[in-house]
Amino acid sequence: MAEPAPAPAEADLRDAAVDEIVRGHAGFCSATDSLLSGSGDLSAGADLIAHACSLCKHGLLSFVRDHFLRALEESFERNGSLKFWQHFEPYSEFSLLESKSLIHDDEVQRVLCNALEEISSEKHYQEKCLSILVHALQSFEGDSSQGKHDAEADRIFLFSKYQLAVSSILMASLPQCFPEILHWYFKRRLEEISTMMDDGIDSPDKDDMDLDDKSMCIKAGEMDIDEGYHQGKFLDEVVKNIGKVVRDLRGLGFTSMTEDAYASAIFLLLKAKVHNLAGDDFRSSILGAVKGWIQAVPLRFFKALLSYLGDSYDYDSPSSGLKSPLASRPSSCYPGIDAPSEGLVRWQLRLEYFAYETLQDLRIAKLFEIIVDYPDSAPAIEDLKQCLEYTGQHSKLVKSFISALQYRLLTAGASTNDILHQYVSTIKALRTIDPAGVFLEAVGEPIREYLRGRKDTIKCIVTMLTDGSGGSPDGTGNAGDSLLEELNRDEESQENSVFEDGFNSDDKQAWENAASWEPDPVEADPLKGSRNQRKVDILGMIVGIIGSKDQLVNEYRVMLAEKLLNKSDYDIDSEIRTLELLKIHFGESSMLKCEIMLNDLIDSKRTNGNIKATINKNSQTSADLEDNGFSLDNLDSTIISSNFWPPIQEETFNLPEPVDQLLSDYARRYNEIKTPRKLLWKKNIGTVKLELQFEDREMQFTVAPLHAAIIMQFQDQKSWTSKNLAIAMGVPVDVLNRRISFWISKGIITESVGSDSDDRIFSLLESRADTSRNGGNTECFEEPLAGDEEGENSVASSEDQLRKEMTVYEKYIVGMLTNFGSMALDRIHNTLKMFCVADPPYDKSLQQLQSFLSSLVVEEKLELRDGMFCLKK
Amino acid sequence: MAAVNSYAETPQERYQGNTPAAAPPSKQPLPAAKSVDTQSVLKRLQSELMSLMMSGDPGISAFPEEDNIFCWKGTITGSKDTVFEGTEYKLSLSFPNDYPFKPPKVKFETACFHPNVDIYGNICLDILQDKWSSAYDVRTILLSIQSLLGEPNTSSPLNTQAAQLWSNQEEYRKMVEKLYKPPTA
Repeated sequence: MAEPAPAPAEADLRDAAVDEIVRGHAGFCSATDSLLSGSGDLSAGADLIAHACSLCKHGLLSFVRDHFLRALEESFERNGSLKFWQHFEPYSEFSLLESKSLIHDDEVQRVLCNALEEISSEKHYQEKCLSILVHALQSFEGDSSQGKHDAEADRIFLFSKYQLAVSSILMASLPQCFPEILHWYFKRRLEEISTMMDDGIDSPDKDDMDLDDKSMCIKAGEMDIDEGYHQGKFLDEVVKNIGKVVRDLRGLGFTSMTEDAYASAIFLLLKAKVHNLAGDDFRSSILGAVKGWIQAVPLRFFKALLSYLGDSYDYDSPSSGLKSPLASRPSSCYPGIDAPSEGLVRWQLRLEYFAYETLQDLRIAKLFEIIVDYPDSAPAIEDLKQCLEYTGQHSKLVKSFISALQYRLLTAGASTNDILHQYVSTIKALRTIDPAGVFLEAVGEPIREYLRGRKDTIKCIVTMLTDGSGGSPDGTGNAGDSLLEELNRDEESQENSVFEDGFNSDDKQAWENAASWEPDPVEADPLKGSRNQRKVDILGMIVGIIGSKDQLVNEYRVMLAEKLLNKSDYDIDSEIRTLELLKIHFGESSMLKCEIMLNDLIDSKRTNGNIKATINKNSQTSADLEDNGFSLDNLDSTIISSNFWPPIQEETFNLPEPVDQLLSDYARRYNEIKTPRKLLWKKNIGTVKLELQFEDREMQFTVAPLHAAIIMQFQDQKSWTSKNLAIAMGVPVDVLNRRISFWISKGIITESVGSDSDDRIFSLLESRADTSRNGGNTECFEEPLAGDEEGENSVASSEDQLRKEMTVYEKYIVGMLTNFGSMALDRIHNTLKMFCVADPPYDKSLQQLQSFLSSLVVEEKLELRDGMFCLKK
Repeated sequence: MAAVNSYAETPQERYQGNTPAAAPPSKQPLPAAKSVDTQSVLKRLQSELMSLMMSGDPGISAFPEEDNIFCWKGTITGSKDTVFEGTEYKLSLSFPNDYPFKPPKVKFETACFHPNVDIYGNICLDILQDKWSSAYDVRTILLSIQSLLGEPNTSSPLNTQAAQLWSNQEEYRKMVEKLYKPPTA
């Protein structure tokens, strides 16, 4: 203890002073002790004041302060903190207990409240003691006529010292489980509020429904202003309890820990709410509901809490060492103001951001499924778009989606059609999120890359493009519908831009473009072409898979040829429409051949009509033929300009005599009309409608000409050996055996082993009794393309064409590998480009070459070692 | 020499004196003709490659090197029932700019123990020297060399040891096997 310098005075006076100091000291100490130990008894206060004053007179002010504070500290440690923590001792393994669900809600709440109450009352008492001291000091200072201001500063200084001491004692002895308990407590309370609010949201809904039908949609918005009375009352009660706990905790210096606890509890609750609302249903937008919930539950809780705490919160500011690390401090909120306070706004922003992020993560993780259901899941996409606008985490989307694609879509098990369909959906869906197409580019690339490796990609694309409206309405036309629709829409938009504003439409368009300009997202790769190229064009992106439109056009031509050749009614309206749409995208010149093909059909119709109208008068044989049921009325021909059609596969066989006669009459008449042109029949192509009459039934078929010719042979002779029939038909025996199986499967012809082991006997089943024995049953069959089911198309497929072209290069490849040993793909490609310039020049893509080389490897002509190709020895 | 020089100069002088404008064209045709030649040589070599690839003769093959159609690599395998059966030889063919009026230079890249092939791989074959005709092409050259392997001309050998040994086919075969190193890629 520092003795202050004695006043310059006489010796006896000095002795008397020492005496007084010693007495004052002893008295002050004992008064302090009795005050602090005596529970609730403030009677020693008067002594304390007297002794304190006497000590202060001798300039022992700082001693008085220090001693009293130290005594308070010791007493708090003994009476307050130790007892306080003892309450929580049973929960020292809180997380363990929680995991075993051994925690009783009420018990924990009671313990926490009791403990807080006890320690708070202890603290309150001590504060009273402290104010006695303050009072003493003030009265002394009043005597010594010092400024009032200093006394006030003294008081604040003492209280803040005390506050600091209290928190540091508690913090120093903090058991590990306490934050967990707090967290748990807030979680439970908030859940309680949330359930209550949910009920609250539901019940007024029902009430309002009766009164007002249209109030459903605005419910969430008005919740925070207009609420049910009982609900508000209950909320106030719960919040009051929580507020008390929070205030007590703050009083003890647990401000930031408390805030952490309830913030994390709210976030947990919010997350659970978002997950609960979002679920796996993508057909509705939930962003509004989430926002509504934020308004209805957490924000109202905060509002109530902050207004409750508002009055008792001031003394937090002096103990500034324990300020919350969180961005918003409820201390900046003042009660009784209706406008949302700054703290509340900050909380709202934080909660909304958190909700956006949670929802975004949830949706990104499920993006694959969302896109699978695309047109239905548009609301989920819209949600995701808004979330991403808020959070800006597009790259997360790209990364996660690509890995989902690779894991789930780009596998051998997925059919090319599915992949294409998903690709189109992806384009459409991501176009909503990202109109510039930057992320689409990144996401689409793996799909394109993969599809290039598939053989049937082009075929599937063309089918998607052309089927749909005109093709088979019952088939797999869904994807086709959407694509055609896309084409149509593009067409319409083009028309609009042309017709809308006449001559200055260009200017207007340019102005619109300029007005709607947005900077590229930061993630845009400047190397990936200009903005124009990134304009999202579904057809363009699909053509991008193949690499060149020529291949697509070629494949389309093959399919168109197939389709046209199997038509019997010259009805090509839908084909013309498709062609016109394709022309818009691919240009007139590349579709020229297809256009000629369609024109052939139109010409055929006219010529056909012309021939049939004039032939009957000139032909002598027609009368005979009519008796047989073969009349020109039943014959329609398609006259093609074979230069412009894809190569057509020839198959020769003998037509039945009357039909052959009919065809040559027809051809002669054509020659007369169109001299010097002559018709060359492709007898194997086309369709024949047949009606077969048996003893007891009639059957109708639509079949390929060869099938018809076969069954015609049975008209006069009921039974044939396969060899004889083959000779009569003019086809090899194996072809006959293959083709006749169609009739066998229909139960019209039966097959039995003949005298010779490799000669079989085919005989006609005349009556139904025979038929049923062989399993045939129905009367009427529609077999549109009997040839197709055997995988034999009349037109050489573009794959076959490619294959044929490639065999030329095979020789070059073998030649170069013989002389150079082994070569990498690139080098083979370059060498072919350089030296294979004759007819036909090498014009294949690297991918095509690669797939060709791999097929050679499969055929064991080549070997692939370490990325180098070499000849198989 | 001097006379030739003066002879060469005189017309130039005369051209320059009379019609200066015409002088450059008189010089021009030479390189132009050359480039036309190169073009036709290129065409010829490409069509030769085409026919060689399409012919598919067994045991002979050749292909231009990566960026130069005037330098080819060739491959010949020894014919059946000769001492060279089962061996494979690499050749290099380099075509002159005035091909096919001059023969290509053909050399063995793989060491070949043969009466008409020296240790450097040079080949003594009449159609590659004085008997060359523009009617020959890569394919006939390769076929000739392939048949030369089985039927050497021992009367004017480049490799006398081989020529002497030729009469003893069994010993010769052993020698071929001993000296043969299969080409590495």
